[in-house]
Amino acid sequence: MTASAAPPLIEFHDVTAAYGRRPVLWNVDLTISEPCLFGVVGPNGAGKSTLLKAALGLVPLVGGNVRLFGEPLRNVRKRVGYVPQRETVDWDFPVSVMDVVLMGTYSQVGWFRWPGRRERQLAKDCLERVGLADLARRQIGRLSGGQQQRVFLARALAQQADIYLLDEPMAGVDARSQEQILHVLSELRNAGKLVIVVHHDLRTVREWFDAVALIDRRLVAAGATHETLSRENVQRTYSGVVDILDEVGHAVERRSRTS
Amino acid sequence: MNLSNMAFEGLFAYNTLVVMIGTAAVGFAAGMVGSLGVLRKRALVSDAAAHVTLAGVATVFALTGKRDLPVLLAGALCAAIVGVAVLVFLKRFTRTRDDAVTAIVLSVGFGAGIAIVAGMTARGVPGSAGLEHFLLGHTAALTSGDAALLAIVSVVSVSVVAMLFKEVSLIAFDQSFAAATGWPVAFLDYLLVVLVAVMVVVGLPAAGAVLVTALVVIPPVAARQWTDRLVVMLMVAGLIGMVSAVGGVALSAIVPRLATGPVIVLFAAVIFFVSCLVAPKRGLLARVARSLRSQGIADEHG
Repeated sequence: MTASAAPPLIEFHDVTAAYGRRPVLWNVDLTISEPCLFGVVGPNGAGKSTLLKAALGLVPLVGGNVRLFGEPLRNVRKRVGYVPQRETVDWDFPVSVMDVVLMGTYSQVGWFRWPGRRERQLAKDCLERVGLADLARRQIGRLSGGQQQRVFLARALAQQADIYLLDEPMAGVDARSQEQILHVLSELRNAGKLVIVVHHDLRTVREWFDAVALIDRRLVAAGATHETLSRENVQRTYSGVVDILDEVGHAVERRSRTS
Repeated sequence: MNLSNMAFEGLFAYNTLVVMIGTAAVGFAAGMVGSLGVLRKRALVSDAAAHVTLAGVATVFALTGKRDLPVLLAGALCAAIVGVAVLVFLKRFTRTRDDAVTAIVLSVGFGAGIAIVAGMTARGVPGSAGLEHFLLGHTAALTSGDAALLAIVSVVSVSVVAMLFKEVSLIAFDQSFAAATGWPVAFLDYLLVVLVAVMVVVGLPAAGAVLVTALVVIPPVAARQWTDRLVVMLMVAGLIGMVSAVGGVALSAIVPRLATGPVIVLFAAVIFFVSCLVAPKRGLLARVARSLRSQGIADEHG
């Protein structure tokens, strides 16, 4: 690489994070230079969410640091979009779908001011992209799980970011919503954005994701999906407990192909 | 006949009218600020702060010997903020659960307040008996200057909420997204708690330390039944708070020796009960009707 080359999109340098005295991430070193659809995979409690939160400054780091676009987070915060886990909010909250998506524009709008016509149009476009334009006025509690995830995705789109961090955006989602979400994420990748997704279904990772990091408190392996998601690496990540359901899924698939 | 004439003269006396306007402003502001507090799940914190205010009122009186409302309320506000700070401190450093810590701060603060008041009454400190009015609320003794103070503080609080509505509602709904997008969550959180504490303090003369939480919590919960929109909820909660406060002041002005706080709470409770019953979408009757209708449809198809 020449000196004039753009800095990597995101770099984790020896990141160690802990809740209280319990460490959840150990010395994670990870650099992503190219826009891609990037999966973060690992067992429950492996620190996948914490990795995203470390990038967003939402957990204190015991050691190491994270740089985005070669800069510390505070300089580039507006270029980072975020989809938190769906369970972190109260869906009975009295706001409409539109209200939630507009929240994505708040940091652009700034203190004391209100989103204007331009922001409302942007929010409408984002809802259109996730296929929820006709539900804009509905209260968010009266949506299906998949629709709620798509509202969160639309809110992140309204941030107009360059890096997107999504925490289990396809948890508890029906097949149609999952397909729709994956399409939007691929579009983002095609538009030159880096999309990092915590995800648990290895099958969709294989099918859709360009690159992947396997995490079990430490980084087990990272790289292009077809090389990294080997049986051996997966086994090491899940401490020998292979994702049985995944294997069964593949067996069924093979059989249905041969018959 | 004669008695009721007197009562109505009392009700429409200049001072009573001014007090009623002041209390109406307090009720509106309390409902509005309380809505954000309740949505941020701070109902119990507000109750703890409310009970602790008594210790503040009593301490300030013991130190200064004055019964001027502004001075006493300043003491109440300090106590409420110290109480919340102790609550946060205990939670962080003793690893005790939220609800237990809240109960401890509430009862210790209230106990201290009662003890100081009792000590002063026992020693016959002049004027200390009047402190009991801060237990259950007593608006008859308020001057029009006091009422104006309450109204001004209420208007200022409502203005702060209007100005920071977007920011505060964001942290109330989704704290991690707010933090990730660079909003100072801790600062906004403190601001909201201070606003709730201010509402508790200005509600003190009308509702008293024991009952003032009702003014911050019941109107929002009742208002939530009627609407799915946050702005509307704040307005409706403000109106319910206002109606309850005015109703309490009026009734306690007519009925001799009736404390204001209990009447305010009962007014609010009736509105809450009716709201839960008849509200168009979330109300009990509407839900029963819906489930009957869907059963009917199921029967037709069955």
